[in-house]
Amino acid sequence: MNLQPLTSRRGRKAAVLALAAATSLSIGLSGCSGGSSSSSGGGGGGKATITYGVWDVTQAPVMKQLAAEFHKQNPNITVQVQVTPWDSYWTKLKTSATGGSAPDTFWMNDANFEQYASGGAIKDLQPMVAKSDIKMSNYVQAQAKAYTYKGDVYGIPKDVDSIALWYNKKLFKEAGVKPPTSSWTGDDLIAAAQKLTNTAKGVYGIAAQNTGQQSFYVTIPQEGGYVISPDQTKSGLDSPQAIKGIQYWTDMINKYHVSPTLQAQTDTAPDNMFESGKIAMIYEGSWAAAEFAGVPYTKANADVADLPLLAQPGGVSNGLANVMSAKTQHPDQAWKWLEFLGSKHAADVQAKTGIVIPAYNGTAQEWATESPVSKLYNLQPFADELKVATAYPSSQNTSAWADAIVTELNKAYTGDETAAQAAKNAAAIMNKALAAEKH
Amino acid sequence: MPDTAVPLRPGRRRAGTSRSSSVLIHALLILGAVIMVAPFFWELMTSLKTFAESTAVPPKIFPASPQFANFSEVFAALPFAVQFVNTVIMTVARTAGQVIFCSAAGYAFARLQFPGRGVLFILFLSVLMIPSQLFLLSQYEIMQAFGLLNTVTALALPGIFSAFGTFLMRQFFLQLPPELDEAARIDGANPFQVFWRIMMPLATNGMLALGVLTAIWSWNDLLWPLVVNNAPDKMPLSAGLATLQGQFLTNYPVLMAGSILASVPMIVLFVIFQKNMLEGIASSGIKG
Amino acid sequence: MSSPVTAAEPAAVPPLPRPDLRARRRSSKGLRRGDVIWGYLLIAPTAIGLLGLSIWPAIQTFWFSFTTWGSFGGHTFSGLDNYMQVVKDPELGRSLLNTFIYTGMTLISIPLAIALAALLNRKGLRGVGVYRTLYFLPVVTLPAAISLVWKLLYNGDFGPVNALLGLVGIPGTSWLSNSHTAIYAIGIVSIWSSVGYNMVLFLAGMQSIPAEYYEAASIDGASKFRQFLRITVPLITPTTFFVAVITVINSLQAFDLVYLMVGPTSPALQSAETVVYLFYEKGIIQSQGGYAAAIAFVLLVLILIITLFQFRVQKRWVHYA
Repeated sequence: MNLQPLTSRRGRKAAVLALAAATSLSIGLSGCSGGSSSSSGGGGGGKATITYGVWDVTQAPVMKQLAAEFHKQNPNITVQVQVTPWDSYWTKLKTSATGGSAPDTFWMNDANFEQYASGGAIKDLQPMVAKSDIKMSNYVQAQAKAYTYKGDVYGIPKDVDSIALWYNKKLFKEAGVKPPTSSWTGDDLIAAAQKLTNTAKGVYGIAAQNTGQQSFYVTIPQEGGYVISPDQTKSGLDSPQAIKGIQYWTDMINKYHVSPTLQAQTDTAPDNMFESGKIAMIYEGSWAAAEFAGVPYTKANADVADLPLLAQPGGVSNGLANVMSAKTQHPDQAWKWLEFLGSKHAADVQAKTGIVIPAYNGTAQEWATESPVSKLYNLQPFADELKVATAYPSSQNTSAWADAIVTELNKAYTGDETAAQAAKNAAAIMNKALAAEKH
Repeated sequence: MPDTAVPLRPGRRRAGTSRSSSVLIHALLILGAVIMVAPFFWELMTSLKTFAESTAVPPKIFPASPQFANFSEVFAALPFAVQFVNTVIMTVARTAGQVIFCSAAGYAFARLQFPGRGVLFILFLSVLMIPSQLFLLSQYEIMQAFGLLNTVTALALPGIFSAFGTFLMRQFFLQLPPELDEAARIDGANPFQVFWRIMMPLATNGMLALGVLTAIWSWNDLLWPLVVNNAPDKMPLSAGLATLQGQFLTNYPVLMAGSILASVPMIVLFVIFQKNMLEGIASSGIKG
Repeated sequence: MSSPVTAAEPAAVPPLPRPDLRARRRSSKGLRRGDVIWGYLLIAPTAIGLLGLSIWPAIQTFWFSFTTWGSFGGHTFSGLDNYMQVVKDPELGRSLLNTFIYTGMTLISIPLAIALAALLNRKGLRGVGVYRTLYFLPVVTLPAAISLVWKLLYNGDFGPVNALLGLVGIPGTSWLSNSHTAIYAIGIVSIWSSVGYNMVLFLAGMQSIPAEYYEAASIDGASKFRQFLRITVPLITPTTFFVAVITVINSLQAFDLVYLMVGPTSPALQSAETVVYLFYEKGIIQSQGGYAAAIAFVLLVLILIITLFQFRVQKRWVHYA
């Protein structure tokens, strides 16, 4: 099985998440190991070594290739790529940022961005963007917006992900169901799932997940609601639209019985069920292409379709950006590097590897048609979905509510509460956490 | 009266057991043993299955052909050799440290008169009562302040000092006849010589008990390594195994292979030294 | 750190503490010089280690419990806020209840261990060594490994536990993900993994009972079972007390099994999370160190009260020889 952090970006894997979040321990006493990790040279435009912190081992070769190319164009600047596995990336970053020794440039994701921007750990790039050729309109809009804090740009979008409907061609054929089409509605999906469900064989039509990004983060905007208000002060979970978006999933389990129970999904990960032919459909991310391609069964039998239509087009997109440490000794050189990474050329190079969808407008198409995984699966739905998706719900302290709302909504998935009740409780918890944030 | 470890032999002078009741006893004990061992058996079988076999309903007991590739997947995902070495270093450092330092402190508390002894001893005792989680946040800050985060030193360090060990050793020294060291003192030996040459050799049972308990506890320790070290090559096996779950979700064949690899060293050690280890543990519990 | 799975953790309670601090002859005429110097030297390593890594942290954590933590460093004093919140937090109540259920279940390992030890303590019984080794295996196995295996055994879909129950017609469930069963399922694992350790302690306790007692009882015609009730059980009460105190303290600090067997988004989390898990979730996952410190102090007070209570009532049932 392929197991790279791409999958972990969903932030749903228990142990990984908990470890990643060990972050928070870094505190006051730490001012010991001061100084940037870069070595020679002063603040000006002279010779310098820039460090670049990343977490994905599979992307490291591409990043190093780009760094070498950049060095050729700027012989005075050497970029050192530092790979820290996802498990420890955030802990290490937070510790070093607190101690003032963070890498000069590094990867940032939606969920953590606000905390770093509001905490003054990353640099306001607005003045540099204003003077340069970088145009924020060149990037997927949701992401360009996501990396803006109080009107200023703090991060240059690097890559994005999106969700589409993965399905099992073999199970569809065996059940005599036509593959999903782009005109499918939610009702069509349920109808197909009912035909595909064969409890005697332990096969279900779909997995109604409760992981946010693969479920209600997608359907709430599709029903016209939102998870968090645009100004990030209020939860939208208790709106009628959001409740509909949640009930879409809970009905699959409790009304139509076309999905394994939440308990069963906790016992056996839905991805694993899909990989062993126990569920016919699953809302999964673009990152899963590499994972599913690594398992013989899904390599042969899986494919991708558009998300079924609900009230309006929509969805969720998580993405990462390149940011600069607020304490870097070489802001000018670091900016040159970020500028280079933000270019269309850098995006093209990444698109062709097929590992991630670059955030630069138009390059998603290259990923969907020219990368190695595109030979196995129809990746167009992901590229299309990017055009309508909204940014990953986040706030200053996302971790204070992200798991808590899942815990509350669980009660609707297990049928202990109605979707409306659970949504109301989840919204209350989220509102309390949001109110505690200092804006 | 010197209290030696109680030998774990069945009582010898007891009235004989009738044949039928002995069959019943064996039946009960075997039933219990099956319950104890079955999970390990299932672990081994699953580690050799394909992913599909592991999810079969109803479950299949034996794999069609053993899949040793599951074990190589673990090696590919975890820096196993490094984590093994980390675990050994952590365990040895804690065990050796506790045995030496706690014996020394235990002897001092048991036999030597010095100002503040009572206060210090009560301070030690109070540490015993506090749940170790209470130290966690602050210990983390201390490691951070000394630049020790993500080092093997940080793994071992807090576990080297033990109030429990000191107390245990003090109790052992108290049970040794005072005449022994008094005689040596009169012959002109200083307290350290008495401790090192006379008392330590007599306290081997206590040190064995402490050593065994510390070794098992260190090998299995999870929360502290999880908090203080995040880099995979600085983790012990316990934390490495916990992160494996994050990577492989519910791919049980690989997870079981990892579990076996991580726990086998201690189990082998136990099977080899079980007599000593069990006697050590037994003697820690009986008398104070 | 605690490892509640194996009761083999030394950070617990001293074996039968009998404070005899002043019992040693304290020669009133003064101290020997060598004693003083060597006394300090010999306790120095442990004393410094404990002061720096336990006592100071405890004091610091006490201070933390009156602060609110910022995201990139800094604690602000917030008075009793954390404690006010902790008391009102329904999660604390739930986690306390779960912790008590877990503790209660783990205590079941004591009678089981006594019964096993009594069976093994028969004269001329063969294979004692083998049984002892097998029963002890879980104690030397990593909690992480134990948890993974039991997660597999308890799997609602393809787990062998359900398959076995199915053979006798009992419907299974997703034991660890079902909020009605999770904490009990975890408790069973706790019993399974601690019974061997307790058994070894009880076996040693039984072997220190003088054989004459049993001989006298046999002459009086008492049955084996009666001898067990009248001689063995009362005479091992010191061991029973020791094991009970250790089990309770360790169980109140349970973390490993819950952390490893029930994930942060499991539907059963609320009905399975223990106090220490809550501490970990607040302090480590959610950056609320001050709040977590307050939880830790609530736990400390709880452990102190329960342990003191146990020592109080021991006079009524523990027979020291």
